[in-house]
Amino acid sequence: MASSRREGSEKIVVDSIHGDVHLTECELKIIDTGSFQRLRNLKQLAMSQMAYPNATHTRFAHSIGVLAIMERITKIAKESGQIKLTKNQEENLRLAALLHDIGHYPYSHLMERIDNVKLIEEQAEGVEEVGKALDRSGIPYPEHDLVGTYIVTMQSDLVDALGGKKRANAVANLFGPKRPTGSEISLQLSMLVHSSLDMDRLDYLLRDSQATGVPYGQIDINYLLNNLKVSPSGRVGISEKAMPAAEQFLLARFFMHRTVYYHKTTFGIEEVCRQLLRRLRDQGKYEIPKDGNKIRSLVTSEALGTFTDAYVDQVIQKAVNDNDRVIQALAKSIQKRRPPKLLAEVNVLVSSEEPGRPHKGTIFTLNCRHKLRQLADDFNIPLQQFILCETPPLRLEKRGRMIAVEEAKSANLNEEEELIKVFVRGEEEPKSLVEIPFSLVSRCAGLFFQSFRLYVVYEGEDKDSIITRLRETIKDWDKG
Amino acid sequence: MDRQQIGVKLTVDGLNLPFNIDFFMDRLIMQKTVYLAQAAGVNLGYFYHWYLHGPYSPSLTRDEYSIDADVAAGLDDSKGWKLDESSSRRLDGIRTIFSEADRDKLARKLELLASVHFLIDRKQASKADPSRITATLRQFNKPFSEEDVKNAIGELARYGLLAA
Repeated sequence: MASSRREGSEKIVVDSIHGDVHLTECELKIIDTGSFQRLRNLKQLAMSQMAYPNATHTRFAHSIGVLAIMERITKIAKESGQIKLTKNQEENLRLAALLHDIGHYPYSHLMERIDNVKLIEEQAEGVEEVGKALDRSGIPYPEHDLVGTYIVTMQSDLVDALGGKKRANAVANLFGPKRPTGSEISLQLSMLVHSSLDMDRLDYLLRDSQATGVPYGQIDINYLLNNLKVSPSGRVGISEKAMPAAEQFLLARFFMHRTVYYHKTTFGIEEVCRQLLRRLRDQGKYEIPKDGNKIRSLVTSEALGTFTDAYVDQVIQKAVNDNDRVIQALAKSIQKRRPPKLLAEVNVLVSSEEPGRPHKGTIFTLNCRHKLRQLADDFNIPLQQFILCETPPLRLEKRGRMIAVEEAKSANLNEEEELIKVFVRGEEEPKSLVEIPFSLVSRCAGLFFQSFRLYVVYEGEDKDSIITRLRETIKDWDKG
Repeated sequence: MDRQQIGVKLTVDGLNLPFNIDFFMDRLIMQKTVYLAQAAGVNLGYFYHWYLHGPYSPSLTRDEYSIDADVAAGLDDSKGWKLDESSSRRLDGIRTIFSEADRDKLARKLELLASVHFLIDRKQASKADPSRITATLRQFNKPFSEEDVKNAIGELARYGLLAA
């Protein structure tokens, strides 16, 4: 943590991770808008506080942390002399860092992804096997990056604080899906908002680790930032001596996912909430926005300030008294913190280099689909209270089955730009970490971890014995 | 596979393309295919920005790898699902865009079509100004001629992918 004074800054905010963060007049104006203050009411880790009581830190604190990292990165880029940043460009990069999470939904990815949720009745065999219609004619909920661009360019308090529409568009383009088409700013620097070694991750790993008390997320941020370099062609990477710090950063991310983000209680209760929201939306209840157009209307209106975690909390509160037995059970599970019981979990570490062999997770999922309806009948528990889910495949680096090295060199790949790059001694241009034969990442690049889980929401008086019997019944479902 | 990923798989299947991400050209085809399907009105929910090879969606890349892992493990969740009728009709309307058999030629064609569409759609250039579009593409070392760009604008218009 650093303490400092700097000319030109209007105010200093003390952050628990990065120490003093200097704010300019414009940044201060932005932070003081209602649109930005909304971030105080969005928890960074959604429902992780159900498992880690202190994990209540907000998108607000994280956004200021990302600004602190951007300050250091732009300083390094300028000092290298390879990237020429005008004052305006530097200011825009700082503003993009500050505003990069402005578009998050209540409980973040939880609500953002309700369009993606598969309900158990859509998975379990036994009803109509053919013809489950996937409606893609409507507009799905937009990703938070795009919501962010709506807010930055259409909420008048932010547009005013940014000094007008022109700058609002320029800043939104740096973090949103519509990024600059070239000359106005270095593509490499804008990638620092999104690549593997991005500021977002650097901050959230440290912040989440500190808040949860889980030490695996600790990274050597000072060494990583102090060893950032820029190549003659403007590509950003780290020097070879910082490779262990970069590899440890990827390991930290890997273990934080396994321990915190995929925690059985958090993951289960968030999945319950996601399914609850989708069911309610499909039934047109409690004014949950029905599609992407409604989300856009909401976030560009004065109601934006109400679109916080409390928005979902209120829906849950109403749903507790819903007429539908399943809706009620799901809502109570969240409200009373009675997380779904994990009946079985199958973890796999799979090599994507060896496709074609069903692993235990596949067998488990297929068995669940085949047998769940009968299981629900046998135990007289509504099928909809079973939660069959899987974590996203987790890799050390963003890309698993990596492109051939020769292909990477020749093709100037989009994906390659998202990987951490290293300046190997004696070479002017950096290589991806996965291309370096002595890196741990290159050896593990083809591997991914995934967890397949079956939960049940059940609160009968015979809960303990029912759960024991259910576990006993399905204990071999991961076998062929 | 989640519902968004199922949508991608059904779209690729619906256009009679193999789901293959083994090589860069395969992934480029995948990116531009989904882009053009969305331009035709199949709302798969991916948001594109401009990158080295034109419109690119990191979320889609992530999902491609997930779908690939599931399919490789024998878990093709798209089976038993179908796209709604209106989306299916929209795919029918653009299927012939993808009929080129040579992979590299198809990749180049789709890169051009998607790039030109993106620049026009995001108001970076006018469809009435192919020379500006060509110049923008040249900034990114794309060897497309003005004639190529004019043909691409014509093709996009024929398939109803450009707003009037």
